[in-house]
Amino acid sequence: MNRLLANRSIRLVIGLVAPAILLAWWQWFATTPGASAVALAPLGSVGSAFLELANNGTLLGDITATLGRAFTGFAIGASLGVATGTAMAVLPLLNRVLGPLLNGLRQVPMIGWLPLIGLWFGTGEGSELIVVCLGAFFPAMLNTHAGVANVEQRYLDVGEIFRFTATQRFVRILLPAAMPLILTGLTQSLAFAWIGTLASELLMGAGGGLGVTLQTAQIQQRLDVILVTVAITAVLGFAINQIIARVRREVLRWQPVQY
Amino acid sequence: MASRAVPAVGSTLGTAPAPGIKAAGDRSRWSAVAAPLSLLAAWQLACMSGVFPSQVLVPPSEVVRTLWQMAASGELRMHVGDSLYRLTIGFVIGGFAGLAFGATIALSRLAEAAFSPLFLTLWQVPVIAFVPTMVLFLGINEPFKIAVVAIAAFFPIALATFDGVRGVPKAWFEVAKVYRTRLPDLVWRILVPATIPSVLTGLRISLTRAWIVLVAAELLAADSGIGQMMEMGRQLFQLDVVLAGVVVSGLIGFALDRGAREIERRASKWRTA
Amino acid sequence: MSAEPFPRPTAERSIAVRGELTVSDLDKSFVIGGQPRPVLENINLTVRPGEFVSIVGASGCGKSTLLRLIVGLDDQYRGEIRLDGERIATTSLDRGIVFQDHRLFPWMTLEQNIELALLNTDTPKARRAAIVAEHIALVGLTGFEKAYPHQLSGGMAQRAAIARALVTEPKVLLLDEPLGALDALTRVHVQNELQRIWLAQRSTMVMVTHDVEEALYLGDRVIVMSPNPGRIRRIVNVDLPHPRDRRSPLLHRLKDEILAELTGAPTDTPANLVHLPSREPR
Repeated sequence: MNRLLANRSIRLVIGLVAPAILLAWWQWFATTPGASAVALAPLGSVGSAFLELANNGTLLGDITATLGRAFTGFAIGASLGVATGTAMAVLPLLNRVLGPLLNGLRQVPMIGWLPLIGLWFGTGEGSELIVVCLGAFFPAMLNTHAGVANVEQRYLDVGEIFRFTATQRFVRILLPAAMPLILTGLTQSLAFAWIGTLASELLMGAGGGLGVTLQTAQIQQRLDVILVTVAITAVLGFAINQIIARVRREVLRWQPVQY
Repeated sequence: MASRAVPAVGSTLGTAPAPGIKAAGDRSRWSAVAAPLSLLAAWQLACMSGVFPSQVLVPPSEVVRTLWQMAASGELRMHVGDSLYRLTIGFVIGGFAGLAFGATIALSRLAEAAFSPLFLTLWQVPVIAFVPTMVLFLGINEPFKIAVVAIAAFFPIALATFDGVRGVPKAWFEVAKVYRTRLPDLVWRILVPATIPSVLTGLRISLTRAWIVLVAAELLAADSGIGQMMEMGRQLFQLDVVLAGVVVSGLIGFALDRGAREIERRASKWRTA
Repeated sequence: MSAEPFPRPTAERSIAVRGELTVSDLDKSFVIGGQPRPVLENINLTVRPGEFVSIVGASGCGKSTLLRLIVGLDDQYRGEIRLDGERIATTSLDRGIVFQDHRLFPWMTLEQNIELALLNTDTPKARRAAIVAEHIALVGLTGFEKAYPHQLSGGMAQRAAIARALVTEPKVLLLDEPLGALDALTRVHVQNELQRIWLAQRSTMVMVTHDVEEALYLGDRVIVMSPNPGRIRRIVNVDLPHPRDRRSPLLHRLKDEILAELTGAPTDTPANLVHLPSREPR
């Protein structure tokens, strides 16, 4: 058995069994008369929904809008987060002033801000972007702060021995030593930005995007469209993860290989 | 599972615990109290300064009054109660399913080969994106909200259990072999204690995550619950109600996280702190 | 570990004789739980230019603290520490140090780590690469310039740390149990290297160690310290020319003497035999 499992292609086939059973059950259920026809669309309809969305340009438009929103929000929120986290770690006074405020604010789940932001700024595209920025800000800020503030003293000693200036200390010790945690923060930020994008699109429904399409499809009871969109979400999520892992490996070349 | 790297996108919280802003040493306990207090003070002062019109920002005193009224009328109790009920039921279901699933694919290579590709594919999708599908399948009543919580809880727990079981050092099994430990002893004295820390971390992450997803689901579709309370407040332009909801959901999320951390700390004392 | 022949020392730096270190009436205490606890008491010591001095003692005798004071990482002390007459208050490129953990920055290559030390010297930029290469050769690590610290073995990393400390041409090199984390064989190897480097550079070196044999093999003098609080108990002159032979009877005699002094008891008393009552014949 174990010898069999060592074979890559056999593993692949075994891995396809569960999804295949799921799909078969679905097809059977969808085509059986009397079953809840509202809920289940037959497999073929999902395929045609995909072609429909792809051909009329909806799909490409949605992907561009969602990715654009997620990355814009990530870029703004995460860079503010890294900057704030660094500043707070380096300047104790700032930490004392800003720390309690931010620590209080971060207790509220990102999605909890949605209604408030809706009230303050309306339910337009701007509000969606604010939610994404907010989601991306906190993980980047927290991890950067932890990373920079907890650089090991033994490394700082070396800097002192070689008479590093404040700038040298920052660029050559604090930043690289904190880099693993900063990257962890950015990874989490991107995840939050991605979820925040979909959630705010679903809830506010402004400006197009995968979440908006999901919401519309739910109202129109188009399960096939929903499933196509969810699948696209999965593919994009997977691609983003791959990119993050790549970037991390590249930037942290100096680390011994883990696991 | 092919790769032990935890995908970032798809999880509401990365598995790495988000480090807090720590004040020096013993002061962290004090600053945990000071943080919300100074936030409140700043908020009240901002309102009293008169810069913000009351449609934009109401003072905390107003929010407290609203909370008090809602508490007195039983409205708050109903919303919080409904939300926590859904959280509990959904979390228990999702938690047990996750534990069982994670342990199974960790212990059986065949189960891993069979289920991990499907699992990892679904893991890429943020739980919130499942909401429309589930609304179509389950409607917008209790089963839907419980299912959302269960799904949100399932993935991190399954992954943490898998990591925990697979992460038990091989050397410990060798020690067990040297002393000819019987299987039940092996499970109860080695496998379970060694897995518990990782599982508890997974439970904590999934608990806070389930809470966030529940609030989101209630925002989208519900007739009661904290999320619905906020959404109604938003639609009726009742800023005090929305802020009350923000505060309550924040406090509950905070309490859940702290409580789970405490359990985690006690249960894994043997680990070096 | 490379076994290539030792690279020849460069002529220009081989006769630099300077760096007289004087420690007089030094007291140092830490505040632990609100109570001041003395760690060093009445330390008086003069290290001659170009001399190799070893400091041995049980753990807790403050020997590492003494080095931290000399290097200037800690300026809270009473008494005087002077290098060539100048009082030490902070760190300076005149004083180099090698720690027990190599403290190479893991995010930089070997070469970058060593070049780092030259950052705030007035060495012209154009010369730096050559000087770095020279020092990498001095510690026998040529070929590993682009390696990251995690790719080096313990002994190699420690030799790299020595090169980093030497590259600024400090008047005094302080060694804080530099070989403490190495396995026995690597240790002997790096000891030989250290002796060779010292002979080539002839800079003043002060090494803290808990290995008496190592202290004697390398040191012109061995300072024996006693703990709680740390005091100088005895100073042993090792009257043997360098390079030394490990089998020298003098070294062995001195080793027995110092060990007896440090442990305070002859070794083969039955007092330290452990009894296991449950194992006694029944």
